[in-house]
Amino acid sequence: MLLRCTADERGTRHLVSDAHSDWYELARKCDWDLSYVDERDVFPAEVSGEPWLPGASWRGWDEPYRTSFHDYLTAQQAKESGIEALRSVLATHDERARIDRGWNAAVKLHSATLPLAEFAAVIGNLRAARFGRDSAWRSTSLLGALDELRHTQIPLKIAHQLVASDPQFDWAHRLLHTDDWVAIAARHMVDELLVAADAVEFAIATHFVFETGFTNLQFVGLTALARRVGDPLIEHMLHSIQTDEARHAQIGGAVLEQIVAADPERAQRLVDKWFWRSWQLFGIVTGFAMDYLAPLAARQRSFREFVQEWIVEQFDRSLRAYGLRRPWYWDEFVAALGNYHHMVYAAAYTHRASVWFDLAMPGPDERSWLAAKYPDTWAAYDAIWSCVDDRWSSAGPGVEWYTHGATPIGFCELCQFVLAGGSPEANSARVVVDDGGRTRMFCSAPCQWIYEQERERYAEHEGVVARILAGKAPPNLLALLRYFGLDARVWGRDVHGGLHPWRTGAGSTR
Amino acid sequence: MKEATLDDAAIPLHVFVRGDVLGLVLVVASSAQISDLAAGARTAAACRVPPTGRSSVWYAGVRLDPQLTIAQAGLRPLTRVDVVPEVDP
Repeated sequence: MLLRCTADERGTRHLVSDAHSDWYELARKCDWDLSYVDERDVFPAEVSGEPWLPGASWRGWDEPYRTSFHDYLTAQQAKESGIEALRSVLATHDERARIDRGWNAAVKLHSATLPLAEFAAVIGNLRAARFGRDSAWRSTSLLGALDELRHTQIPLKIAHQLVASDPQFDWAHRLLHTDDWVAIAARHMVDELLVAADAVEFAIATHFVFETGFTNLQFVGLTALARRVGDPLIEHMLHSIQTDEARHAQIGGAVLEQIVAADPERAQRLVDKWFWRSWQLFGIVTGFAMDYLAPLAARQRSFREFVQEWIVEQFDRSLRAYGLRRPWYWDEFVAALGNYHHMVYAAAYTHRASVWFDLAMPGPDERSWLAAKYPDTWAAYDAIWSCVDDRWSSAGPGVEWYTHGATPIGFCELCQFVLAGGSPEANSARVVVDDGGRTRMFCSAPCQWIYEQERERYAEHEGVVARILAGKAPPNLLALLRYFGLDARVWGRDVHGGLHPWRTGAGSTR
Repeated sequence: MKEATLDDAAIPLHVFVRGDVLGLVLVVASSAQISDLAAGARTAAACRVPPTGRSSVWYAGVRLDPQLTIAQAGLRPLTRVDVVPEVDP
């Protein structure tokens, strides 16, 4: 494909395919002058988003990286061929058995939480492909929908090939169809972010905050980790997906620019809301993988170091470039970098039968590494892992239940994750009694704030605790695991089943 | 056998053991003492925080008398209670 650099009337440079350059600009900017129907009926505020602006004010909408449908298909076909070749060779039981068990658990976590969320993103992109306010935005969203369909299918196809030898991979497709607590939390976010959001909120939340702000964690950090682990299938899958994300993520900034100009406080509220919700998701999905599930030899930087470089610094710059402030809870976010994923991981490890992937207990060398990376916070978590380690020593290998909680756990009314905010010394959970006399528990001040901004959107949602109290879910742990859709074939265990290398004399790490 | 009364209602509480990583939902009888609640919370969190030593129970910034019952302490369903392991002098 031949590319040519052009400059528009504002001096912005664009790469365009030479073959199509003559007609491309005309095709991407093709908005009708409406004559017999009101613009508000064609683009209703409820679906197109607010603030509702006349079409003329959107005509300057511009995406810096452009592609035609023909060029899109050509590039995607080449990428598909590459991934398909790797999948046919590497998505095998023998290949997965060669790879570190903790890393395989990270792959199962990602394989389940992301593909069907990507499918929900198809819906969000298609909504924008119809109700986005400028033709170029709509065209780019259509390609975004095709991208997300691909991001659904690739990991599902890989996981499907592995189900026969490992039923935990079945959860790549199954998770979001269950009432597992992770599924309840994931649906709560995904449905709002990708299925229910109007085109403006979708663009700012998904493209600007989630994709531009956070997915570097996945596509730069995890890709590099996969390479060092020796997992070329996952490395190339992530890289292939990243090249799509980089293209359609540009929608976010172009929409945000318009909304900041028209209603800066709404723009700030949307950024503040989705930055927190995105942080919680990535804190768990990526934080687990980087600081616990990847083998120590493959790790270079901690999750916090990665977030500081790729999110704190870059996102901060982006916010200033758009004239926005840091989210009001910024100090709480920065403090959470040293705590949140450690708290949720220890909670998940000691309730591992409630998830579909195994979890790794950090050994002595890993705990030393974590202590060096988190000198300000790790002592509290080291005490917890000492307790877990002592109980494994008392129980002996195979006795999972002695290091497993049996009491129901609390969940946040907003994010639906466990109440693991703040620190072990000062949990940030807060109780609010609402107008109807119902007691609601939030894991953090930002979650409470998000809830109170749009309480009519969230008030009727039933989390795990509400279901148990209403008699819709069982209180007994074993029965609750079945309600979650889990059984002994699938539920999570310690990756070594208690036969830890440092206990058996085989080494001090995994 | 003691006849059931309103005082024996089961009360679910959000309990946070200091040093632990998450909040637990503990269901206690409203006639149970605060000291029973502390013991139950320490047992529930035992796989992460060793259940040794004494504990104090705090509600809305106030340390509760261990002899009080849940009902006497005025603990409403799903409210937050903190259990703080005490360091012996």
